[in-house]
Amino acid sequence: MGIEDKMIQLKNVDRSYKTGAGRTWVLRRVNLDIREGEFITVMGPSGAGKSSLLNVLALLDDQWEGEYWFREQGIHDLKRKQRAELAKKNIGMVFQSYHLLDDLTVQENIDLPLSYKDIPRHQRQSLVADTLDRFQIVAKKDLYPSQLSGGQQQLVGIARAVIHKPPLLLADEPTGNLHSGQAKEIMELFRGLNQQGTTIVQVTHSEANAAYGSRTIQLRDGWLVGDTANPTLAQPAEVSAS
Amino acid sequence: MINGFAQDFRYALRQLGKAPGFAAVAIVTLALGIGANTAIFSLLDQALLRTLPVKDTDRLVVLQSVGSFNGNTSSRTDENFYFSYPMYRDLRDRNSVFSGLIATVWTQVGVQWRNQPELVAAELVSGNYFEVLGVQPARGRLLVASDDLAPDANPVVVLSFSYWKRRFGSDPNVVNQSILVNGRPFTILGVAPPGFHSVVMGDTPDLFAPMTMKAEVKPGFKDLEDRKSRWLNIVGKLKPGLSRDQAEVGINPLWYSIRADELKQRGNSSENVRANFLTKSHLFVRDGAKGFSPLRQDVQEPLLIIMGMVGLVALMACANVGSLLLVRAAGRVREMSVRYALGAKRARVVQQLLVEGLLLGLAGGALGIAIAPTVSAWLINMIWSSTTGDLPFSSHPDLRILLFNFALALAVSLIFSLAPAAQFWRPNLAPALKQQVMIAGGGPLRFRRIAVAVQIGLSLLVLVGAGLFVRTLHNLKSLNVGFTTDHLVTFGVQPTLAGYRPDQTRDVDKQVLQTLAALPGVRSVAGTTDRELAGDNTSNTITLAGYTAKENENMNVESANVSAGYFSTMGMPLLAGRDFGDQDHDGTQKVAVVNESFARHYFEEPQQAIGHSYGNGRGKVTTDIEIIGVVKDAKHTGVRDDIVRTAFTPYLQEANLGAMTFYVRTWQPPESAEATIRRAMQTLDSKLVLDNFRTMQEQIDDNLTAERVIAILASSFGVLAVLMAAVGLYGVLAYSTAQRTREIGIRIALGAARRSVVRMVLMEVLWLAGISIAVALPASLLLTSAVRSQLFGISSSDPLTLVAVTALVAAVAVASALLPARRAAKTEPMVALRYE
Repeated sequence: MGIEDKMIQLKNVDRSYKTGAGRTWVLRRVNLDIREGEFITVMGPSGAGKSSLLNVLALLDDQWEGEYWFREQGIHDLKRKQRAELAKKNIGMVFQSYHLLDDLTVQENIDLPLSYKDIPRHQRQSLVADTLDRFQIVAKKDLYPSQLSGGQQQLVGIARAVIHKPPLLLADEPTGNLHSGQAKEIMELFRGLNQQGTTIVQVTHSEANAAYGSRTIQLRDGWLVGDTANPTLAQPAEVSAS
Repeated sequence: MINGFAQDFRYALRQLGKAPGFAAVAIVTLALGIGANTAIFSLLDQALLRTLPVKDTDRLVVLQSVGSFNGNTSSRTDENFYFSYPMYRDLRDRNSVFSGLIATVWTQVGVQWRNQPELVAAELVSGNYFEVLGVQPARGRLLVASDDLAPDANPVVVLSFSYWKRRFGSDPNVVNQSILVNGRPFTILGVAPPGFHSVVMGDTPDLFAPMTMKAEVKPGFKDLEDRKSRWLNIVGKLKPGLSRDQAEVGINPLWYSIRADELKQRGNSSENVRANFLTKSHLFVRDGAKGFSPLRQDVQEPLLIIMGMVGLVALMACANVGSLLLVRAAGRVREMSVRYALGAKRARVVQQLLVEGLLLGLAGGALGIAIAPTVSAWLINMIWSSTTGDLPFSSHPDLRILLFNFALALAVSLIFSLAPAAQFWRPNLAPALKQQVMIAGGGPLRFRRIAVAVQIGLSLLVLVGAGLFVRTLHNLKSLNVGFTTDHLVTFGVQPTLAGYRPDQTRDVDKQVLQTLAALPGVRSVAGTTDRELAGDNTSNTITLAGYTAKENENMNVESANVSAGYFSTMGMPLLAGRDFGDQDHDGTQKVAVVNESFARHYFEEPQQAIGHSYGNGRGKVTTDIEIIGVVKDAKHTGVRDDIVRTAFTPYLQEANLGAMTFYVRTWQPPESAEATIRRAMQTLDSKLVLDNFRTMQEQIDDNLTAERVIAILASSFGVLAVLMAAVGLYGVLAYSTAQRTREIGIRIALGAARRSVVRMVLMEVLWLAGISIAVALPASLLLTSAVRSQLFGISSSDPLTLVAVTALVAAVAVASALLPARRAAKTEPMVALRYE
């Protein structure tokens, strides 16, 4: 897999919400290329649009305007159902609050994404067993999330996100709720996944976490204002003026 | 606790105003439960529980006998409650256990006042009636023993209070004035007090006349001194300090002695006859505090069934309000936690919840009580739609019942408003105060699931009952009664009530038949003294020539005097022999046509009955009535009653002819014939009052009143129950899916298809409904077996009803789940997960 291969291309992506007074823009004319195998860190102050960008990339949000190309397929031309299918195959999500289902065991939580695919049961069981083994959480497989530490819960969250081997892993503040020791372990895990070929986009406030990435982009007030891969990025008038 | 009550009250009002949907559903649910409960219980109280408005009701008793009886019995209910006048007189005068024994019988009389004739209900009573009951007059005086000493000697009446008000405009000068009763002048002695109707609960006679005036009040009945004619009921008042058991022990020797005398008068009797008449007979002393009542026996079971159903509905209403209050409280965990965090004491938080519950209870209770009289009136109107004059029940509930139900509404809402307090008792403030924890944990949801499961189960029970009763009514209505019921009009005419002498009755009846037959649009006309499907029985003991009755064989047959052409007019096919003709009249060979049951019972085949003869009475009687024909069986007493052996005789061969009911078969729709018939009868004699004018279909509907009322009420409660269950289910699902927004968001984010979310919510419903149904179905089988006697043509475990009701409940469950399921499927994962 060559690093030059484009995985994602965003062209002039806008995202806004209707408010009483008019519109609030959360993403403004975002142009972004993501290549296969990259490990991108999205940074910026609160309200800059980081999570909104991640939601657009994850195809959880479909109310944006502009163009979104995924491996040369125009997402903007797809219907909602087709987008969901594409996301199911290609994208894994890791959340700050882990978002494990409280009533399911570790094993069942990890199995969840597979249960939404047409995969035979025995195959699913084998995939889950492999994943438990790979993440060294076999001993915890029958525990419920409430019986795990934060770091262990996030480990399960990541295992769940990658069990179906998605080429793209999106992580929204994955260590936000963890202490530094746990955070380091999680970031090492991400590095390992990236080295095995998974493209990763993470949102973080931590410079230390950003250091694990190969490229950092900066957002402010919805504008893409910095990109270490593109030092000549034009500054939008409103932002440069501020 | 009352600290800040006013503030809590204002806040509670504001809270309810902010959630008008919740408040409306809770109040209306409570009101429907309480209103229906109040209305039905009010009727039940009046019919089954309330004692007579007379003195010393605890000492009132009703007499009932067992033992064989040979003769005629005119009864409105169990024949064993009826006695002859000589028997009454003997018991009254010779007993030592009662401080008074009274006799009573209901009848109808023709009253003329200022030349306006009308048929009214009357009660023939013994002279001591009012004295024994301790009733005081409102005007003038009431009957006393001396008014009832000799036959036909005292043409006097006492008016009921409502009749005095209705017909005489409460004129105080009416006392000692004269009115015409059946054409003869009777003096008005006085007016009974308001609130007193009769010793027979459910009867509302307009006037009371002495028993010894029977020949005038019931013209044609000259059986006052006949020991073989049972027609009156006996009510007694125990001597002070005596129990019913003691009275029963005390009265029976006298009973046997009178019966022994009666047996002696009959001449030689076999051992068997003697045993059945004497040694196997007994006089029971039954509780009479609530009055003797044929009506009570009729309505007891239906009312208890309806009360059971309304109880289930009220229970559902409670569960519904409870779960509504819980879900509301669950949505306010954060608010309550803020209050705690700001220093509120538990008692204060509980007080606020109680005030809100109190408001709901007050509103629901008040509305329920407000609608109760309307529901009662609707019910009374439905049950007694054909009754003219005073109704035996009032639609205004008793104050005790109103207070009880109002208190019930308050208690339910207070108890259920306290239930959420449990979850605020030891609040876990830290997580509760976090923004994301807007709703409570598993406890309330579990309770709501249980509450909804209970509601689904209860609604299934009510619906199964409704299904069975609706099918019963359908079966009864579509039953072939044995004659043609369409294009048939019926009404009664009693010439004696218009002043004709009993010996003139036959001629008047003949003229009526001729007049009707000549009317345009009339196909045929007939008359009978034993009207069809009206709940009446007129039985007679017979002796068949050449037939030896088996031991204990019932030789009673239904007896009807009918006109020629009766069977062809009614559409009863002749199976053997011939119909009555012009040749069958007074002075010619006495003849009878019997029904198929009669013929098959005594002669095996209809054809074999022809030519046999019988006589009325048992023992040495003249068997001079020849059987000339056999007709196919038809229902007589009621649609659901068994067919009884019946002998029809020509009315022209009957000397003491009773009231005749006429049947007119029309070409055009029967309703359109009424005006023509009334005009013709008016022309014949304006004093002749047409009684119970109706089509045969209306008569059948009237006969099926109890079944109809149960079916309508059960269906109404079924709809109400299923609506409540749907609302409850919707509530719990809306709540549980709202609580699962985050989970659903995660699932969708991880690739769950939206239809799988719908499926997930529907599965929850189907599980809930499935468990409820699995528990409720066996319970319904147990419960419905208790109402088996009210069913007709189906078993209490009718598979069609059970399957249909289960399908309906499942469909309603799924339907009420669709909206929450669709809403859940529309969850935007991005929104659901945002609050991190």
